[in-house]
Amino acid sequence: MKAVAPAAVVFVCAGLAPLVVHDAFLLDSLVLILIWGSAAAAWNVAGGYAGQISLGHSAFFGIGAYAAGLVVTRWELSPWLGLAVGALVAMAIGLVVGYLSNRLRGPYFVLATIAFSQVLLIVGSRWRGFTSGSEGIPVPFRPGFWTLGIADKRVWVWITLALAVLAYLLQLYLDRSRRGYQLVAVREDEDAALSLGVPARWLKVAAICASAALTAACGALWAQYIGFVDPFYVFSVDLSVKFALAAIIGGLGTALGPFLGAALITTVETYLRAQFGGIGTRLIGIYLIVYGCALIVMVRWVPHGLVGWIGERLRRRVTARAET
Amino acid sequence: MSLLSIAGVSKRFGGIVANQGISFDVAPGELVGIIGPNGAGKSTLFEIITGFYHPDEGVVSLDGARLTGLSPDAICRRGVARTFQKLRPFQGLTVLDNVMVGALTRTRDVRHARERARELVGKVGLAEKAEAHARTLSTGQRKRLELARALATEPRVLLLDEVTGGVDQRTIPELVQLVRDLHAGGLTVLVIEHNMRVITAVAQRIVALQLGEVIADGPPDQVTRDRRVVEAYLGLAYTQ
Ligand SMILES: Nc1ncnc2c1ncn2[C@@H]1O[C@H](COP(=O)(O)OP(=O)(O)OP(=O)(O)O)[C@@H](O)[C@H]1O
Ligand SMILES: [Mg+2]
Repeated sequence: MKAVAPAAVVFVCAGLAPLVVHDAFLLDSLVLILIWGSAAAAWNVAGGYAGQISLGHSAFFGIGAYAAGLVVTRWELSPWLGLAVGALVAMAIGLVVGYLSNRLRGPYFVLATIAFSQVLLIVGSRWRGFTSGSEGIPVPFRPGFWTLGIADKRVWVWITLALAVLAYLLQLYLDRSRRGYQLVAVREDEDAALSLGVPARWLKVAAICASAALTAACGALWAQYIGFVDPFYVFSVDLSVKFALAAIIGGLGTALGPFLGAALITTVETYLRAQFGGIGTRLIGIYLIVYGCALIVMVRWVPHGLVGWIGERLRRRVTARAET
Repeated sequence: MSLLSIAGVSKRFGGIVANQGISFDVAPGELVGIIGPNGAGKSTLFEIITGFYHPDEGVVSLDGARLTGLSPDAICRRGVARTFQKLRPFQGLTVLDNVMVGALTRTRDVRHARERARELVGKVGLAEKAEAHARTLSTGQRKRLELARALATEPRVLLLDEVTGGVDQRTIPELVQLVRDLHAGGLTVLVIEHNMRVITAVAQRIVALQLGEVIADGPPDQVTRDRRVVEAYLGLAYTQ
């Protein structure tokens, strides 16, 4: 499953879509799929390739969102700068999480990452003087590319597509490079990897830092696109679960998987919101039930995700054809 | 002139003394067998040499340079490779990819590493299984895989923990021959082995451990006739 052609087709189609599609709703969905897909891909770098399962990646997403929002509102600078600041701060925090990954294994690491994101939620929602507290930050719309004040959703498709391609390329690097092979070895068996000369601790930290920076970039662009940063949303566990789930559904440790998973999840979420959103708050959390069920189904019956499943079907068809 | 030097190594786990003042030197090109009843501390010694355990006392050095205190990956890069008694192949990877991980410690070039891995996979007799996932292999095949993977790191000293344990009788001679060939090629090897016939056939020298201490060290015929060694093994036989 290391062929690039399917991904190239997917990304070219996404890039051409704005030329054909003019429906704002569809373009909006595409932008969100690309952002969530990139975030899931970023998660996959740590969770899928390096095997460091985190349920606190919303921490990095929130840092990116806040960095972009604050840089724009407090200092009236470019959100691109905010994106860079967010990525750097997330990387620094990634160092801490990476350190934790070398201390805590399995469920303990997962719990630590959740705790991490919740600490940031408290900071974000309580530090009124700086973050505006629980009210969140409305991100002002200042027209222009430099200020990311873009009303045209087609341009947003291309911007987020660039992010998606970047995330994809990072994973492709892991599929093919020396460091990628070593990282997968660490995931499979850390002690065995160490015994073969793989600098496991260092690699895990590097993977988590890269994952953190990319997730923050997603958060920064998302904040500019949506125009509002709500601490209870950007630092939520739901969001972390969404990143993880998209990668798991699509195929852990596969480069294209997270994008397929994100497309599926975003579509289902949008559909559910349209179906149940009007009925009232009682059913608004229904997507969480769907997440849970999807997770059980995938882990139990489709452990290699959509990419693995489709790959298996194709292989079967090819061998069947070869036999006849 | 010694290549690997073990000097006064001790290790305790709570009340259990796993290694007690173990000292011996291994000359370049030597093939040393390590024997001893279950729990004698053989594997613990390997863990200490390779940096997975830190000794309470004592120092291990390679070619005069201290290994103790280095991390396991650094020790491997210095030239000490090992296999695990409880095998630990990368289950989800193919045989070839398993071996590539070892080869990538010595080359940055992935294609070169793949070629090197293919060579070694052939050398240990797994060519037909190159693309199979490690989890589908038999115990004997997994042992070969771990051997190939360790060799791919181009070690100066190779530590093998139980070459024939859990392997069916017919493949034992092949594995033994493999170890012999490696040794003949100039590699320095330490082998832990329970099977006395195997160890006396391959080793030039045997170090016997009991309750964490060295009780005999010398040529195979001498060590196997040593009173304490015989007692250690007979004692084991009686209690079992
Ligand atoms: N990580 C550990 N924690 C606690 N005790 C340990 C640990 N590792 C080894 N031991 C103990 O140290 C002693 C020596 O164990 P070791 O595995 O080195 O023996 P061995 O000679 O390799 O035995 P075997 O022939 O069964 O492999 C045993 O009593 C064992 O229970
Ligand atoms: Mg042992």
